[in-house]
Amino acid sequence: MNEGALAGMLALTSRVAAVATLLALPPAVALGYVLARHRFRGRALVQALVALPMVLPPVAVGLGLLWLFGRRGPLGALLEALGIEVIFTWYAAVLAAALVGFPLFARACEQAFAAVDARYERVARSLGASPIRAFTRITLPLAGRGILYGALLAFARGLGEFGATAIVAGIIPGRTETLALGIWSRIQMGDDAGARALCAASFALALGAMLVAELWLRREPPATAHAARP
Amino acid sequence: MSPRDAAPVGRETFVRARVERGGFALDVELRTEARVAVLFGPSGSGKTTLFEVLLGLHAGSRPTVRLAGRWLDDPERRLSTRVEARGLGWVPQEPMLFPHLDVAGNLRFGGPRAGSGGARALADAIEVLELGPLLARRVDQLSGGERSRVALGRALASGPQALLLDEPLASLDLALRARVLPYLLRVRDHLDLPIFYITHDPDEAQLVGEWVAVLDRGRVVACGEPRAVLWSRAVLPLSESLGLENVIEARVTACADGAARVATPSGVELSVPAPAPLAEGEPVRLGLPARDVLLAAEAPGRISARNVLAARVVAVEPAEGGALVHVDAGLPLVARLTHEAVRALELAPGRPVYCVIKAHSLRRLA
Repeated sequence: MNEGALAGMLALTSRVAAVATLLALPPAVALGYVLARHRFRGRALVQALVALPMVLPPVAVGLGLLWLFGRRGPLGALLEALGIEVIFTWYAAVLAAALVGFPLFARACEQAFAAVDARYERVARSLGASPIRAFTRITLPLAGRGILYGALLAFARGLGEFGATAIVAGIIPGRTETLALGIWSRIQMGDDAGARALCAASFALALGAMLVAELWLRREPPATAHAARP
Repeated sequence: MSPRDAAPVGRETFVRARVERGGFALDVELRTEARVAVLFGPSGSGKTTLFEVLLGLHAGSRPTVRLAGRWLDDPERRLSTRVEARGLGWVPQEPMLFPHLDVAGNLRFGGPRAGSGGARALADAIEVLELGPLLARRVDQLSGGERSRVALGRALASGPQALLLDEPLASLDLALRARVLPYLLRVRDHLDLPIFYITHDPDEAQLVGEWVAVLDRGRVVACGEPRAVLWSRAVLPLSESLGLENVIEARVTACADGAARVATPSGVELSVPAPAPLAEGEPVRLGLPARDVLLAAEAPGRISARNVLAARVVAVEPAEGGALVHVDAGLPLVARLTHEAVRALELAPGRPVYCVIKAHSLRRLA
C-alpha cells in the first residue's frame, strides 16, 4: 500500500466524520435542549428512540438507510429527482456516521443543558432578553463545553463506523473506502500488513480525538464553576 | 368592582393570583400604592412564588398584575406581558451572575433594554453600588457581598421600571449583611424606583419598607405600615418567631472610648457600643429586643444602664406569657413584660414611665 492511498483514506475518514458531526449538530442540540428542559408525555419513548441507532446492529441501520435513500426509497427518489445520488457515494458514509453518532451526541447535549441552571435563562429574560437571545448568549455558551464534548464523541464514533457504512456506501477505493472499510477489505484480500498499517492509523486518529475530548473539554464545567467559592 | 375601575393612581400595584404547584397553593389579592413594598413571611409562605407571578413566570395561571402603575397582565382584557417585556429588575435570592461573563459583561447584559438611557443606568448603578473597582473581575473572583452588589447592579443597569429583590441579604452572614444593607438603602433613597422586597427578617421589613404584606401558607394575612403590622396582635406570633425587635434609625453625634452617642431624627439620644470608631454624622440602624427594654415607674438613680428615657405608655397588649407595652419615648418602643410587672407598675395608657436600656442591648444592624 502506498502512502498516497493511506493519506487519502485518512483524509476521507476525517472528512466523513467531520461532516457527519456537523450534520448531527443542529438536531442533537435542539433535541438535547428539549429533553433537558421539558417534561412531556412520551419523553421516555423519545429518549429510547434516540438511543436506537447506537444499540441496533449497525448493519440493520445501514439497511434502513439503504431503503430510505435507495432509488425507490422515499427520500432517494426525491433526491434523484434533484440529481443527487447518495447510495455508494461518500454522502452515504456521512449519513451512516451521523446516524450512529447521533445518540451519543444528543445525550451529551442533554446532559450539558441539564447542567445549566434554568434560572440563568429566567434572569436573562427578566433583563429583557428574548428566549432566543437568552439561549444564544447564556445557555449555549454555558453548555458549550459539554456540546463540544458530544461533538468529539460523535466524531470519534464516526471515524470507526463500519457496518452501516459498508451497506450504504460500499467499499470503493478512493471514493468511499474509509479506514474501517479499508481494514476490512485488506483482510479480505489477505493483505495483513496493509490491514495492520490501517489499524495503526485508526488507532492514532481515534486516540487523538478522544484525548482532545478528555483533556481539553472535560476539564471544568463552567456552569457550576461559580459555586466554588462561598 | 374590577381593579381598573378604581381611580387611576400613579403607582398603584394590584395583584390577584392563584397558583397551584404540587401540594402548595398561592392565593393572594393585594393592593398598595407604596413605592417600597415588602413581602414578609416565613420560608415556604409563597413570597417567591408571588415574585414569579410578577415576573410573568406563571402566565398559565392567568394572574392579574398591575405593577407600580403599569398593567402587565389582565385576563379580562387578554393582556399578558412576556417575561422579557415587563421591564423588571429582578435580583433572585442567589445572585445567579452569568459565570461566563465578567462583572462588566453581567452589568451590560440588560443594556439593550435600557436603550438610550442605558449608559446612564449603568453609570448610576456603578456609582451607587461602588462597582467601579470590580468591573474587570471574573464572577468567581467576587466575595459574597460583592456578588450581591453586582446582581443588584445588573438589575439596575437594565433600566427597570421597578426592582424585585428576593431576600437580598439572606445568603450573607451578619457582618456582610451590615455591609450590603446600606447599599440597598442607598438604592432606595437615591433612585426613584418602585421596589418590591422579599424578606423573612422583621428588622429588614421595618427598616426597608413603607408598606408590608405578611404572607403565611400562600395567603396574605395582613398588610399595612410595617411597624404597626408586625407588632399587631394577629401577626405577632409569626413575626416574633422570626426575630421581631425594635428597630431604631439614628445618626452618630459623638464617639469615644468604644461607645458612641447617636441621635434619632426626633432628637432622642442613645449610647451604643462602638467596637470600631464611628464617624460623626454616620447613619446607624439599631436592633433592640423588646425583652431588653426595662420600664421603671420612677426615674432610676445611679445605674449602669446608659440609656434612660422618659416615656409615656401608649398601649398595653396581651402577648404570649405576658404583655407588650408600647411606649412613646420620643421614638416608639415596645417592651415585653410579665403580667406581674404590668400589675406592679400599674401600667395603663397615658402613664409616665422610664425606659431603661443597656447600651449593649442595642445591636447595630447596619
